[in-house]
Amino acid sequence: MATSSSATPVLETNELTVSYRPYGLTPVLALRKVNVRIAPGEILGLVGESGAGKTTLAKAIMGVIPPPGVVEFGQIFFNGTDLTQQPEDELNQLRGRAISIIVANPRGELNPLLPVGEQLTNLARFHLHAPMRQARQLALDMLGAVKIPDPARRFRAYPHELSGGMAQRVVIAAGLICSPQLVISDDATSGLDVTVQVQILDLLKKLTRERQTSMLYITRDVGVAANFCDRIAILYQGEIVEEAPTASFFAGPAHPYSNLLLAAFSHHSALRKRWSREVAPLGQAEVGGSACLFADRCLLHQGKCFNDHPELRELAPGRFVRCHFPVERRSS
Amino acid sequence: MVILRYIGSRLLFLIPQIVGIVLVGFILIKAVPGDPATLMLGPMASTDSIAKLRTDLGLDRPLPVQFFIYLQKLVHGDLGTSWQTTQPVLSDLRTRFPATLELVSYGLLLALLIGIPLGVLSAVRKRGIIGKIGGMYGLVAGAVPDFWLALVLVFVFYSVLHWLASPIGRIDISVVPPDTITGFYTIDSLLAGNWDALGSSVQHLLLPVVTLGLINAGPILKMTQSTMDRMLQADFSQYERLCGLPPQLITRHAFRNALPSILTIVSVLYGFLIGGAVLVEIVFSWGGAGQYAVQGVLNSDFNPVLGFVIFSALFSLVIYFLVDLAYLAIDPRIRH
Repeated sequence: MATSSSATPVLETNELTVSYRPYGLTPVLALRKVNVRIAPGEILGLVGESGAGKTTLAKAIMGVIPPPGVVEFGQIFFNGTDLTQQPEDELNQLRGRAISIIVANPRGELNPLLPVGEQLTNLARFHLHAPMRQARQLALDMLGAVKIPDPARRFRAYPHELSGGMAQRVVIAAGLICSPQLVISDDATSGLDVTVQVQILDLLKKLTRERQTSMLYITRDVGVAANFCDRIAILYQGEIVEEAPTASFFAGPAHPYSNLLLAAFSHHSALRKRWSREVAPLGQAEVGGSACLFADRCLLHQGKCFNDHPELRELAPGRFVRCHFPVERRSS
Repeated sequence: MVILRYIGSRLLFLIPQIVGIVLVGFILIKAVPGDPATLMLGPMASTDSIAKLRTDLGLDRPLPVQFFIYLQKLVHGDLGTSWQTTQPVLSDLRTRFPATLELVSYGLLLALLIGIPLGVLSAVRKRGIIGKIGGMYGLVAGAVPDFWLALVLVFVFYSVLHWLASPIGRIDISVVPPDTITGFYTIDSLLAGNWDALGSSVQHLLLPVVTLGLINAGPILKMTQSTMDRMLQADFSQYERLCGLPPQLITRHAFRNALPSILTIVSVLYGFLIGGAVLVEIVFSWGGAGQYAVQGVLNSDFNPVLGFVIFSALFSLVIYFLVDLAYLAIDPRIRH
């Protein structure tokens, strides 16, 4: 399902750099010169541990970075328009309409005092300017599309009356009701039971494929990304360290961190052990100013890693890695 | 059906609550030193006549018996007699309680009209000028005593500007009060079509209502502001923002979620002000229930005090009950 790179991307970030500048404290870089590119209909998986900057990227795209966060530099192009230059009310037109987000913990995110059907109806009314009756019908259809049993009854249900999986479906319905071009899923299924998670993912994949929706799929679970995404990007401390088509990524991850991630989710205990050994502690002198961000955790680090920050380079067409000594592709 | 049963059980609970309140009030009042018999007969009375009066009043009997007698009379609607006014307490309170209630209700209404919009606005524009004004207002309203503000208002609008009639009582002495229907002069004169009485009572209400409104808008503003602030930061508001819903709608939804907290503070204030407005009543010689009760305390006139306690307790219980019904209407989570 890989799309030709010649098509105009739906989303493209150019050296996007975001930092949090708490008053009186040193600023923290949350995203460092991040370039991501999502073609029409493509699903990009963004994988990283907590604190890697995944949610910051989602919020930056939505234009809702909370203070003290600021976009230091870089651009976010949505269909060729730079969102960082758009006024707030223009962005508000896009949010939920052209770019929507599917959040985790949906029962906490839905308005507790409003029936879920009403909440979907509001979206259709304000974004599609649909008349009340039509908006209600659309909301009802959408509840059916996300496979909620007895949608007419659930329409009037309040969030606290739904199970976690059901609420997740409602949030998916909210994300898709205006047929957006880009859907961002921010760790959306992480709070669910594994069996429910599989169902929801299948549903999400089916609905986005049907509508030719592009998607930024943010997750901590590299295994989920394997089944779901066309391409995978690995984020580490606000930096993309590896980017590759899904198949070739799993055939042989090149960055040591990707290997560590994959090993952590692996059932192959030897592999897990090999990559999750303690790294020998560093001598103080070795840590330079422009080290590789992963160097101190890296099993394969060498002297160069501590005084030369690696750039993202192309190993093979479409395969990028940010490492001086990438892991060789396994022959088997 | 479930709602009806809920209402029924709440009403049933009113009875033990009232009995408990009367008991506590009774004990507290008897604990205050002071002998009504001595006060009634004056300093020249002989010990014999004082003792005789004490026996007549039943003051020589043990406390539990006195309490039981009081309860027995209470059941028959007899709240005893005030020796100061020589009137039955019930008929005294029938005119005085509505006086206070009218004053406090309008005052609270004004406080709501000031406090809620200002609180919502200062939560929405936290960093803006309105936010600053809101914060400042809450502080000043908390620091200024109501009787002082009342005196300032009287000085400015009566003594200096002569805009209003003399701020004594609920109505001009020359104007005949309307027949009692609700006990609210404004409503009664409106119902009777008595425009003179209406105009005069509105004029007399103006300053005390403004006083109570300005002062009590403070806590309402504070509560509205902080709750709205929390609700606008809450996950569901953030999510609505992510969904690109219009800011006015997000504010409206946040306000609905903030409403239970605001209702709580309003109900507490309402019950509190029945007695808490007494200083304002005194400044304006309002002749309300608060003043009546304070006179009772000062003169060991027990019956008016207990009567006041019962009236205001009943009132508070009714208000809390209504507020609980309102919670039910607002929040589906507590409906079952």
